[in-house]
Amino acid sequence: MAKNRKNQAAAIRFGPALKASFLCLLIAGSAVGYVWQKSQVYQLGKQIRETESRLAQLERNNLMLDNQLADLRSPVKLDQRARNLGLIPAQPAQVVRLSEMPLVPSDKNSFARQLAARPAGVTPQ
Amino acid sequence: MIKREQQFNRALALLALVVLAFAGLGFRLMDLQVWRHDELAKLAEKKTQQTSWRTAKRGDILDANGNLLATSVSVKMICADPSMIGGQQAVVAHALAPLLQMSEVELQQRLTPRIQKNSQSEAVTNGLHYVRLQKNVPDETWQKIQTAMSQLSFGVDEKKLPKADRAFLHNLREYAISAEPDQLRVYPNGSLAAHVLGFVGTVENTNHTSDAVGYDGIEKFFDDKLRGASGWRVSGMDSRKNELVTLRDEDVQAQSGLNVVLTIDAAVQHILETTLTNAIARHAPESITGIVMRPRTGEILALASLPSYDPNNLRTINTNTEPDRVISDVMEPGSTFKTIVISGALNEHIVTLNDTVFCENGVFHFAGITLHDSEGHHFGNLTVQQVLQKSSNIGASKIGIQLQAPKLYDYMTDFGLGAFTGIPLPHEVSAKNFVRPADKWGKYSIAQIPMGQGVAVTRLQMAMVMGAIANGGVLMRPMLVKELDDASGNVVQRYQPQSVRRVVTETTAKEMVEALKTVVSKDGTAALAAITNYVVAGKTGTAQKVVDGKYANDRFVVSFLGFFPADNPQICISIVMDSPKEGGHAFGGALCGPIFSEIGKRCASYLNIPPDEISPQPGSPSPLVAADGSH
Repeated sequence: MAKNRKNQAAAIRFGPALKASFLCLLIAGSAVGYVWQKSQVYQLGKQIRETESRLAQLERNNLMLDNQLADLRSPVKLDQRARNLGLIPAQPAQVVRLSEMPLVPSDKNSFARQLAARPAGVTPQ
Repeated sequence: MIKREQQFNRALALLALVVLAFAGLGFRLMDLQVWRHDELAKLAEKKTQQTSWRTAKRGDILDANGNLLATSVSVKMICADPSMIGGQQAVVAHALAPLLQMSEVELQQRLTPRIQKNSQSEAVTNGLHYVRLQKNVPDETWQKIQTAMSQLSFGVDEKKLPKADRAFLHNLREYAISAEPDQLRVYPNGSLAAHVLGFVGTVENTNHTSDAVGYDGIEKFFDDKLRGASGWRVSGMDSRKNELVTLRDEDVQAQSGLNVVLTIDAAVQHILETTLTNAIARHAPESITGIVMRPRTGEILALASLPSYDPNNLRTINTNTEPDRVISDVMEPGSTFKTIVISGALNEHIVTLNDTVFCENGVFHFAGITLHDSEGHHFGNLTVQQVLQKSSNIGASKIGIQLQAPKLYDYMTDFGLGAFTGIPLPHEVSAKNFVRPADKWGKYSIAQIPMGQGVAVTRLQMAMVMGAIANGGVLMRPMLVKELDDASGNVVQRYQPQSVRRVVTETTAKEMVEALKTVVSKDGTAALAAITNYVVAGKTGTAQKVVDGKYANDRFVVSFLGFFPADNPQICISIVMDSPKEGGHAFGGALCGPIFSEIGKRCASYLNIPPDEISPQPGSPSPLVAADGSH
């Protein structure tokens, strides 16, 4: 009987210790998890801030490039550059104006003649 | 027994003390959490929360082809906290002065906290914690400033300094100089279309950031559309004043302003301005203006008033350069006004183009005054068409007398004189006071007004009159804005051409075009306005200026208004020159005609306007033969 009690008591002491350890681990784990999660939130916040800052920088660069493009396409600047290169506007005599072909052929033969007059290799569209 | 009673009393006293202590704590708790809650909450919020404002990007102004005429670029306002600089102003000023383009002495003074007395003898500082050093600093320069600040050397071994001094130097490098986001309005083409675009100034708003405000031109007229709406962000901060993204309470994006797309074509505007600039060099007028528009829609392709200014440099704006004379100056139109009189008379069937008018051999006495034809002409009989072609004052007066004052006044107002044209620009005048009702005319007004005297108009009003003739008799509202787009390029509002009214019948307009064609012939007053390969119609004007209440003989406003191709008008051009150096020898056809021709030729080439006739030049390639063998 005494032996049994002794064995029984030992069994009882091991169980609570295990439970206590498990509880401690759980609490410690939760605490570490909470801190880790907080740290992750902070890190992600920092990353978001950095990404936003990078995005703003890229937007500024984009705007700057847009402005550069606009500057290069400016008719005033193009005119100045053309003049600096010694170019001048075409004189009326230098302009050859082509009369457009009618969109709808007046007769079948006329359309055939127009097709025949096309340079080789050009396919009708 | 006594002992127990003593013990009880002591315990009671202790309990009372504990209760009192808890009551005190409770009271303090109530004080902090309830009674002073709002005040303390605000205080705590102020220490841990930051509100940052986001300035909205002001909308761009674009030409009809999407070329940028005005835009905003991101810049920085550089600020300093003098309290963090201690006695190191000289070191900081030496490092930053070249970057901020300021003198070291001036910068050093700004960085030094100063206490002054204001008008009420109160001590005020120059901003112990905040002083603005320079505005419109490019982002790249701000990065250089940050680098320069982080590399500041104070000539001591900082490792040997006490901790407090090291912290002070660290804070100086990190936080003493800061930057606030700002915007700079930029006009990439300089003075091109300056009077159309206008300019902006800056005003400080309630968020302690500056806003660009339009002061003239489209910048002013469409200020509320261009401005956009500011955004803001409220978020928590850590001890180093870094934003904690997870503690963001509010995050409202700024809404960019709308882009204004004009009907102006930058290339046509450039053609107009360069030609007018050359004309200024040749004729040294007080001012010169030009308008290029499409008569069928009223779209203004170019509008210039010289002398002009560069909106990038507000110092170039003064009383001489600022006014947009096209819409804000009134002038006597001179002979261009004959267009209205003869249109009216034709429309009322009072005359035909072939009717003869006796021009009194150049001297006409009427109601106590004597009228003369210009340039000492002594015209006898002229047809109505020739009255226009030769620009006979007496002929026009006689036609006006036949039309009679009330009808003439009706046509004047129907053509839009004395009323706002409706162009979306500020400072337009209607000249209403100068277009008096017929019952208030003097006894000789009916003879004087038809030759363009005793009435005043704006340059734009007269251009619209010529546009109406070119447009088959329908007066159009001048159109300067094509559409409003959002920042992504989506159209928010599109403007359509608007007709104001039909003034004369199509037949009358056609007759007028025929008559106006003869003006630009070798027998007309504007032979120099002709453009190769195009038939031009137009009218010259030479108006004496009123000086000290009298018509001066040496100061004239000369003009030419015309359009081409005459039978299929694509563009209408108005050129007006004020007081050219030629003085009494200045005539609209001789001075403004060649300018019109030059602009017309270049615009026709650029806009690819089909010519009226193709006259092959010697040595030019033979015309191509169509496939069916026809030419």
